Amino acid sequence: MLLNTKAKIIGQGITGAEGSRAAQWMLDYGTNLVAGVTPGKGGQAVCSTIPVFNTVKEAQDALGPIDATVVFAPPMRSKDAVIEAIDAGIKLLVVIAEKIPTSDSAYMYAYAKKYGAQIIGPNTTGIINPSKKIKIGLMGGGDPLKMFQPGNVAIVSKSGSVAAEIGVMLKRNELGVSWAVGIGGDRIIGSTYVDILTELENDPETKVSVIFGELGGTYEEQLADAIKDGRIKKPVVAFIAGEFTASLPSEVQFGHAGAIIEGERGKPEHKRKMLRESGADVAQTIDEIVELVKKNL
Amino acid sequence: MILYEYEGKELLANAGIKVPSSQLLSSPDEKIAVSFPAVLKAQVLSGKRAAAGGIVIMPDSSTASRSVSEMFGKTINQEKVEKILVEEKADIEKEFYVSISYDTDTRSPALSISEAGGTGIEGRGATVIPIDVINRSAKSELIDKNVLNSLVELFFSGDCTLLEINPLVLTKKGEWIALDAKIKLDDDAKGRHKNWAYQQRFPAGKMPTQREIDAKKIDEGDYRGTAGSAYFDLEGDIAVLSSGGGVSLTAMDALIAAGGKPANFTEYSGNPPKEKVVKLTKIVLSKPKISGLWVVGTVAANFTDIYVTLSGLIEGLREAQTELGKKFDFPIVIRRGGPRDKEAFEMLRQVKDFDLVLQGEEVSIAQSAKIMTDLAKKYSQK
Repeated sequence: MLLNTKAKIIGQGITGAEGSRAAQWMLDYGTNLVAGVTPGKGGQAVCSTIPVFNTVKEAQDALGPIDATVVFAPPMRSKDAVIEAIDAGIKLLVVIAEKIPTSDSAYMYAYAKKYGAQIIGPNTTGIINPSKKIKIGLMGGGDPLKMFQPGNVAIVSKSGSVAAEIGVMLKRNELGVSWAVGIGGDRIIGSTYVDILTELENDPETKVSVIFGELGGTYEEQLADAIKDGRIKKPVVAFIAGEFTASLPSEVQFGHAGAIIEGERGKPEHKRKMLRESGADVAQTIDEIVELVKKNL
Repeated sequence: MILYEYEGKELLANAGIKVPSSQLLSSPDEKIAVSFPAVLKAQVLSGKRAAAGGIVIMPDSSTASRSVSEMFGKTINQEKVEKILVEEKADIEKEFYVSISYDTDTRSPALSISEAGGTGIEGRGATVIPIDVINRSAKSELIDKNVLNSLVELFFSGDCTLLEINPLVLTKKGEWIALDAKIKLDDDAKGRHKNWAYQQRFPAGKMPTQREIDAKKIDEGDYRGTAGSAYFDLEGDIAVLSSGGGVSLTAMDALIAAGGKPANFTEYSGNPPKEKVVKLTKIVLSKPKISGLWVVGTVAANFTDIYVTLSGLIEGLREAQTELGKKFDFPIVIRRGGPRDKEAFEMLRQVKDFDLVLQGEEVSIAQSAKIMTDLAKKYSQK
């Protein structure tokens, strides 16, 4: 994920309404978006100047090796788009669509793992790095400067909107962000907290990470294990939401598919306990995050 | 979507896994056609139905009609018995517990298998084996290879998120038969399964309220953003309109932590058109005894046109007042930001018929929750 400023990025499915708007925002931010890929639309252009190709391979042939792709394909077509990009040799894929069937997400993850590629998402707003002007996906929307200024705090969040909230709170306290990453709230995700924070161990910009978690799944617990056994050494501030769902029928699904209660391990209080015991600083309310970050800088 | 046992067994049979000869009863008057000894099984979604009298063995036909009538009169774990599956009783040599579900530790489906099936499996433990997603293969010496392969294939091609058979039995004749089926289908895969024509169903004891039904209808046939597809009535007096999955969770936790009592949970997101927001606002405010309305979302929305949605809010408030013949004089706290928020707040400052408190990024979600709670308390004590 730790791309440099010159990294070449393409967008699969950026000729649609949502994709082209995101592509324009990426360009406005200064991101090196070099091509779009939409089957049947080769030869056209998106955002006036960005060439569109029919396949990832054609884009590679014309422009040389591509470092990353943002996949704006609809949920049922994301899997094929991901396979195509991995087959073409792309090593970083940001998959935006929500409501991708779980079997497709599991396949995409297994396929990426097999060929040494990394998927971020699905169901993510994407990633942003303010100092390198890299914005892949929708993170920060059309006004990323409102919430993300350069700095030393990484935000790794199951929710894009909470990542933005945390960015705003940091900025109001004159703190900035190294990377903000939406990992998505689905049951099977391409990159977990552990995957991202392990990479950030080697990122000179990042001094502390803030993670936002929700009930459901075991990714927060996995992070606690990694902190405990020393794989992650940089300080972690954690904030976990979803307590109130205890009062709802248990089969209920929210906007984030991962938010499903599943025994002790999935419960917010269990996640907090594990993280606290591992040595992470756990914020009880969203307001405590900034103070805990300052303490660790 | 959770399937009833009889629906699950249909999928198993189609996948080549043997199930007992059976008959589905919808009323006590139907004649039993399977041979005896047979088992009556109440078709309810909750587990542990045997303990609640939902499974009855009938040695011969003499007691059959009385047992069937009795079972149709039953309510099991808050679910009324409307269908009964009658099955020929299997001659069991050996039982197994088998399930496949997604495991976030390996990020793949996992096969759980145990040599002792039946109830109380949670306590006895099972072997957990990851399944190779790319080759769709799993290895276990415990059960028949063909049965295992069929299960794995059904799990993937059938887009299951849970496929549980408890027990899978080996009969004295050497046949492998699934005696139960607990299948959960992936709602996100519905688009590629035209045969999923299952009726809507609800968790035990959680029949939806009229407001919950009405809120769900808002999104039907209109894919522009979402409003109300997640709506739940709660016991409190603070109506809530929140936006964005993670922020909604954070906001509800913060409200409860501040001592506030939410009257509902709902969210809208993805830039819904004004009429959707109007409809949702009307539903949220149709509750009696509201002491406050909290409109809360991120102050950094990516897409949602804040001017449009907050215009929808005001319009919904006015329409709801007229329709209900009430005057909404409770405090309304709005914390929101994003595209066109300046115009939106300018518009709101001109609104004089409601008691509005406007907040932007200077007020955090937790602070906003506290302010809302205090104002609602003051209002309710008036």
